[in-house]
Amino acid sequence: MTQEKNDEFSILNPGSREFDPLEGALFFQDLNLDQIIDKMSVRWGKEIKKYYRYMPVSFEESEYRRAVYRDIKKESLYASLTEFTKSLEVIRELRQEKEKVRIPMQKCVWHLREVGMYCKAYEELERSLEEADISSDGLLGFRKILKDILESGGYRQLAERTEAILERIRKMRFIITYDKDRIAVVPGELEGEGAYEEMLRERAGKEIRHLQNPFAADPTLTELENSCLEILEKKDPKFFGEIKRISDMNRDYEKKVLSRFEREVVFYLSFCSFQRDMEEAGFVFSEPKNCSEKNMKAKGLYDLALAMTSINTDKEIVSNDFEYQDGDRFFVLTGPNQGGKTTFARSLGQLVYLTQMGLDVPAVSANVPYFPAIQTHFSVEESVETGRGKLKEELVRLAPMMEEHQKGTFVVINELFTTAASYDAEIMGKKVLKHFTGLGCMGIYVTHLRELGGCCDGVASLRAVPDENGIPTFKIARGDAGDVSCAESVVRKYSLTYEQLKERL
Amino acid sequence: MKVCLLYISKERSDDKPYFDTASIIKDLGLKHLFVSAAKRLIYENGAVKSVEKEDTYLMETLRNVMMVPLHSEEEIIYRQEILKDFIKNEDMARELYSICTDVIRKWNELGRGGREKLKQSNQAMRLTADIRILHLFSDSLGKIKTILKDPSLKIESGGLAGFRDDFMNAFPDEKEELLRDVLGDISFYTDGSDDEDEGREKIVRPRIVMESGLEDGLKFSSLKLEEVSSKGEKFYKPGSAKYKLRELVNSRTPDSFSAVNDARIGEQSQMLEYGIVSFLVEEMKRMMEEFQSFFDRLRFQTAFYLAAVQLKAQMERVSGEWCFPEVCDRRDLEFIQLRELVMALERHVDVVGNSCSIMNKDLLIVTGANQGGKSTFLRSIGIAQVMMQSGLMVMAGKYRAGIFPRLFVHFTRREDSEMNSGRLDEELGRMNRIVEQIGDGSMILLNESFATTTEREGSVIAYDIIRALGEAGVRILTVTHLLSFAKRVYEESVKDGGLSVEFLSAERKDDGRRTFRMIRHAPELTSFGLDLYEEIVGGI
Repeated sequence: MTQEKNDEFSILNPGSREFDPLEGALFFQDLNLDQIIDKMSVRWGKEIKKYYRYMPVSFEESEYRRAVYRDIKKESLYASLTEFTKSLEVIRELRQEKEKVRIPMQKCVWHLREVGMYCKAYEELERSLEEADISSDGLLGFRKILKDILESGGYRQLAERTEAILERIRKMRFIITYDKDRIAVVPGELEGEGAYEEMLRERAGKEIRHLQNPFAADPTLTELENSCLEILEKKDPKFFGEIKRISDMNRDYEKKVLSRFEREVVFYLSFCSFQRDMEEAGFVFSEPKNCSEKNMKAKGLYDLALAMTSINTDKEIVSNDFEYQDGDRFFVLTGPNQGGKTTFARSLGQLVYLTQMGLDVPAVSANVPYFPAIQTHFSVEESVETGRGKLKEELVRLAPMMEEHQKGTFVVINELFTTAASYDAEIMGKKVLKHFTGLGCMGIYVTHLRELGGCCDGVASLRAVPDENGIPTFKIARGDAGDVSCAESVVRKYSLTYEQLKERL
Repeated sequence: MKVCLLYISKERSDDKPYFDTASIIKDLGLKHLFVSAAKRLIYENGAVKSVEKEDTYLMETLRNVMMVPLHSEEEIIYRQEILKDFIKNEDMARELYSICTDVIRKWNELGRGGREKLKQSNQAMRLTADIRILHLFSDSLGKIKTILKDPSLKIESGGLAGFRDDFMNAFPDEKEELLRDVLGDISFYTDGSDDEDEGREKIVRPRIVMESGLEDGLKFSSLKLEEVSSKGEKFYKPGSAKYKLRELVNSRTPDSFSAVNDARIGEQSQMLEYGIVSFLVEEMKRMMEEFQSFFDRLRFQTAFYLAAVQLKAQMERVSGEWCFPEVCDRRDLEFIQLRELVMALERHVDVVGNSCSIMNKDLLIVTGANQGGKSTFLRSIGIAQVMMQSGLMVMAGKYRAGIFPRLFVHFTRREDSEMNSGRLDEELGRMNRIVEQIGDGSMILLNESFATTTEREGSVIAYDIIRALGEAGVRILTVTHLLSFAKRVYEESVKDGGLSVEFLSAERKDDGRRTFRMIRHAPELTSFGLDLYEEIVGGI
């Protein structure tokens, strides 16, 4: 009974349910989360991509992860878990290498070495978990399961046994004589450190290097090495027989529940190591606090993907504060092109995603309510469609987002209806906003149509603020979308004001 | 080991070459000097029997060494002393140079530096090449040792004696023997591998004994090499009765397997041989590492001295009079019968010499008759100065001068003597670059400078520049026809506070004949060019 329960344990959710990865969710691409995940997978393997698509389905699941992540972030636990995954990485590599081994005796010894390392890695992990200051249900639960497994025997004993065998192999010595086109092998040791090497050392008057195995380049045994080994086996059949027996007895040594943990824990570690790298580069993270929908806000929020690509460049990353004040459900963000509108919208989406995933967020502080899902709609700039065709394509993508079952989700819309006539676009925009607020969704709507600000209840205006010369500051502020002071300076810069045009023409 | 025959305790100079060496070589005509030094004169019965074609490496080396000035009297004497030894032991110079040249040629043939070529060849071929190179080292260093041990050598200089001592320390008999022994032990790897000759009687086979252990993965590990040797045995054709018989006897070795019968094991036995031999070759290479650049250095350095020895022979061929210069204060310049060497080498005759004693002067101004030997005189000083500063002898009875590592030449060249603003621009541009380089120990040779404009303008420019340079401590030797400039300097120099100037003039006998000698003479506002005009066109 216990065994069965153990097998079902997951460090990603308390009910240990299996996940369905979120296939085809556009927001990974729209929010540039793909860039971040790709970057992490360079170190942690492509396997992790799937875990970033395993979304919690309830507030409790989200909190379960947050608590685990809070523990893992701690220096000592992070270090020992990283060490643990490295050991397992080595074991996995050895296992792959083992496939190439043709000689049965070598296969047995390699298997025992692998088993020994596996047992040792878990013993080491258990020790670290014992010493660590753990408060999350997830890690406490895992610690108990691991302790049970180790204490029920098996692993500890196996570790000792394999180590003893390997130790004996390491101590074997024999003499190879290559003469008269034959190779003879005699167990035993020579006197001294190799007479020829000693002669060289003495007469050259300096240290010499050690002779390396000429067959070292190939990790599997060559026929010549195997022929030598066979002579040794013949001399000590008992010992070599034992190797084979123990190896055969422990063909399947892995526990399912542990394997699941090994794979899942990488989700936390990959983000943690990424976060540490970013922190090293001077970027701030914080743990988001839960709140009601009325109080969603953040200070010093920035676009994590943009920040990642700015490292080692002199690009400056601008951060922003925002707050959904009482009654606000949607922001309508307007402002000049290249003024930081899309970047802000992305960072807002990232904030919600990372919060739902139980991870830390790129902000000085943040209060974020639980949303059941995230939806994004970014205009596809490289689309071949134009005019009517493009509008149709946009609407086709928009329709499923507006369905009834999407209520309460977080919605990020970036430049909708750009190819439609302004009059039409304004009307459609208002309908869309009204629909989403009616569905109880929250979100942000980036547009160049200033008329949409305040068009219906729960819609607040934000604008991207240029400096006095009209140069973008990438700062976002609350304000009437009608303020377009930046535009004039751009016009002047290109000598297109009335007076200028008069003079030029 | 370091070869320090050019510099005290170092193999190469940290100093920079002269500024604008191309101008120095061109204006002083040094190219001809390099070529002459690179040619060996073969004597027979006291007369030159033949001249060998020039050795381009000697030529280039002489140029490279001469273009980097020495900075102290100590360094100059160091080289002079070594050169004296090489003059006394000319054969040694030739032999050392030729051994090194030979090594480098053979080494190149074995693929030195040709990484691309090496990549194409396989491991075993590279190892064979390495073994040949070690043999080359062993043989050549042995020869050098024999030369240096020759009791009839007359070595007096500290430099050469130091080289001999360093060499004996770096390649003592023990090292030489060890190298030979190891090469002997691994001779199985190269001997007989070249020719699969049916008729051969003996083959060389290895005997290798080593201790091994096993690592976790069951591979051989922590090997200890006990024995490596090569021994010849009678060659029997595989498959023949005698071959089989020997195989049968050998197969009685207990707990053994054949290293040749199975194709894979046969290949791996060769890998084993390769592994052991390459280990030993790498160790030997490491032991000989200090000789990696030895042959290049020794070749370069003996090339300089060999060129110098040959240059001396060339001087003797035309005149017989040469000396090692002496270093003195920078304000003094003194010489007896100094000849323009390049001209002498070109014409194969002795040329007019000049003697001067210019003591405690800032500035030397030479004026006088055209075609009177002024430029030749200036060049003779320039050449002697460069030679002295590289430790060479000069063609004079005596030469005393200060050391000027910053030596500049500013010659108005024939081809740019037409008057136009572009030329003046170029000339002043050149002067500007020189001025940027001025510092301690600067000497400028000005030959007909600022002649690309009118005499009056040129004089003003010359006066300002030369005065400023002179006051900055630059030693200036100038040949000029800017007579108003010369006159002005002369008038100021007799007053107090002016620069201290020596005035020389090309001698002109009362009958108008030129002697090509310089005499002390105050500048006059008349040029003897009129004479020349008379001489050439007057009669028309």
